[in-house]
Amino acid sequence: MSDVLSDDGSDIHQDDSLEEVMTPAELIAKLEEAWLNEKFSPELLENKSEVVECVMEQLTHMEANLQRVKKGDVKVSVHRMEMDRIRFVLSSYLRSRLQKIEKFFPHVLEKEKSRAEGDPSLLSPEEYAFAKEYLANTETYLKAVALKHMPPNLQSVDMLKAVPEPCLDSFVFLRVKERQDNILVEPETDEQREYVVDLEEGSQHLMRYRTIAPLVSSGAVQLI
Amino acid sequence: MPIVHNGAVTSCVFFAVSGNSYSAGTFISSTVGVPALTHSFCKQNNPAVQTMDPSEVEFLAEKEMVKIIPNFSLDKIYLIGGDLGPFNPGLPVDVPVWLALNLKQRQKCRIVPPEWMDVEKLEEIRELERKEDAFTPVPSPYYMELTKLLLNHASDNIPKADEIRTLVKDIWDTRIAKLRLSADSFISQQEAHAKLDNLTLMEINTTRTFLLDSLNCMYKLRSNLQPGSNKGKALDY
Amino acid sequence: MDSQAYLPVPPGVGMEENFFSLDDILLSHERLSCRTECAFPRLGFLEKSGDTRDIAEGTKMELPLWLAKGLYERKRRVVSVEVPKVYREGWRTVFSADPTVVDLQKMGPYYYGLGSQMLHFDSPENPDVAQSLLQTFIGRFRRTMDSSQNAYNEDTSVLVERLDCLERALFRSGQSGLNGFQSWEKGRASHLTASTLVLNYRKRKMADTQP
Repeated sequence: MSDVLSDDGSDIHQDDSLEEVMTPAELIAKLEEAWLNEKFSPELLENKSEVVECVMEQLTHMEANLQRVKKGDVKVSVHRMEMDRIRFVLSSYLRSRLQKIEKFFPHVLEKEKSRAEGDPSLLSPEEYAFAKEYLANTETYLKAVALKHMPPNLQSVDMLKAVPEPCLDSFVFLRVKERQDNILVEPETDEQREYVVDLEEGSQHLMRYRTIAPLVSSGAVQLI
Repeated sequence: MPIVHNGAVTSCVFFAVSGNSYSAGTFISSTVGVPALTHSFCKQNNPAVQTMDPSEVEFLAEKEMVKIIPNFSLDKIYLIGGDLGPFNPGLPVDVPVWLALNLKQRQKCRIVPPEWMDVEKLEEIRELERKEDAFTPVPSPYYMELTKLLLNHASDNIPKADEIRTLVKDIWDTRIAKLRLSADSFISQQEAHAKLDNLTLMEINTTRTFLLDSLNCMYKLRSNLQPGSNKGKALDY
Repeated sequence: MDSQAYLPVPPGVGMEENFFSLDDILLSHERLSCRTECAFPRLGFLEKSGDTRDIAEGTKMELPLWLAKGLYERKRRVVSVEVPKVYREGWRTVFSADPTVVDLQKMGPYYYGLGSQMLHFDSPENPDVAQSLLQTFIGRFRRTMDSSQNAYNEDTSVLVERLDCLERALFRSGQSGLNGFQSWEKGRASHLTASTLVLNYRKRKMADTQP
């Protein structure tokens, strides 16, 4: 009976969509990284649909296994607790993306429009549909409550200008996962000079998001 | 007179005494399970930066491992996040805090407090923290959360629980006072970068919104100094 | 927990503004002393004091910021705008001596916002105004931080009394961080409350099922 649960989800190894072979534990770590990064970055990050899908698979798989275990087994409750925790991270991650989409929708859609063919999309297909609908609904709403009562030449609002853009100059807290040398720090005032810092593995920093945005994407630093 | 300013070595107290790095991705849940699942829907109090709720930081802390002494036997459990066990009565075994607390609540184990959760050790840390200007290395990246969790749910397994609570609170208060000092100097020196090793997530989290919002405001006020940067942009909606 | 049905839009401090920000809308209604630099034919009705058909060149009138900005042109002088007292040299000296003593609520309440907006109008004093805004903010930062981080569970109206609107917003951020931590520490965070969205949805569903 215990061997139904001993399958540690090794079917993930056959999944070629992830570049490297990952253990389920590494997969969960990836999800948690993505969660924190998304929570703390000022802009919407690239979607991690692959991680999300794999985690969902793991959960479904585990759920199926648990169905086969007899009721009252202590193990089941432990597995359920773990699954609840993973589901929490998963939904919090997806939710913080939706919040950002709501906040920056015109800019998110604009970026999607200008994306070169073959470049990965920022949005998952579901998120893209959500953003488009959000834009349409906002426009309909504004039209219904205010704009249609305006003189004809004032009936349109340029959403791109009306909705604030994400501020990439925001400061963020980060922890370094892979050492980075010579990161250029722009001066804040005319009296200061630009200088470089080395980001040692494990060290923590407070600096502008713009400076380290590529390192967030590559996974070299973790926002905290 | 122009001052050559090198922010890497500044008066900023953020600068660490020695590098005590945390293992990345050490993680946490509220007492049993997960923080308010609905809370993000009703919480959008901060438009300027993304925030984290203290209960979410606690959630991360609950991933830390702690030793327990079970009073039951159970084979290895193959969790998605890794294997646990086997469990044998009287034999210590490492489990994540979320499981330890759950088992404790069901009276299935005794929790062995982490080594640092000890009056003498904490007194030493407190004295050092008070003596140094910079942040000293903490015994655990989640010292505050773990103290709260373990003392609230397993105080009968922890000797001198009340003293420990007070000591940890003292350490916390000293560190938060330093954090404010650093934040003020970071703002007034208009720094572009600070190294803040040894600062824990919970500590960062209490001032995050305020500090980042302030830095944003300051950034915008400073961009006023560059004439012509944004001029006319606001006129044509 | 806060429950807000929409994402509040923060004010665009600095020269830009946020279209949907209530603070910025209020800011745009701040009145400025202006002087017409050319005649405005047939607009006399706008001037309540006079009953002439036209507004003559050189008339002094108060215009809201949005209108002053709209009429102002750098090349062709239509109106000239007087810098409010609080941004002029006399007050700038006061601010540089001790920024914490000034009651920015009384002098503002959009001290930073309006000051930044004044930079749209050409003036040789602009660089000094911009510098003074920044230094005032920095000079008052410590006080805003300390008061917002120390006041737990108390009446904060006295603490925010003399703060400008922007500082009040920061004060609130500081308070939300402090309150979040304190209620976590006291174990209040573990009491879950359902989102109002969910509650309303349930109510609606109940109503729907009733005949």
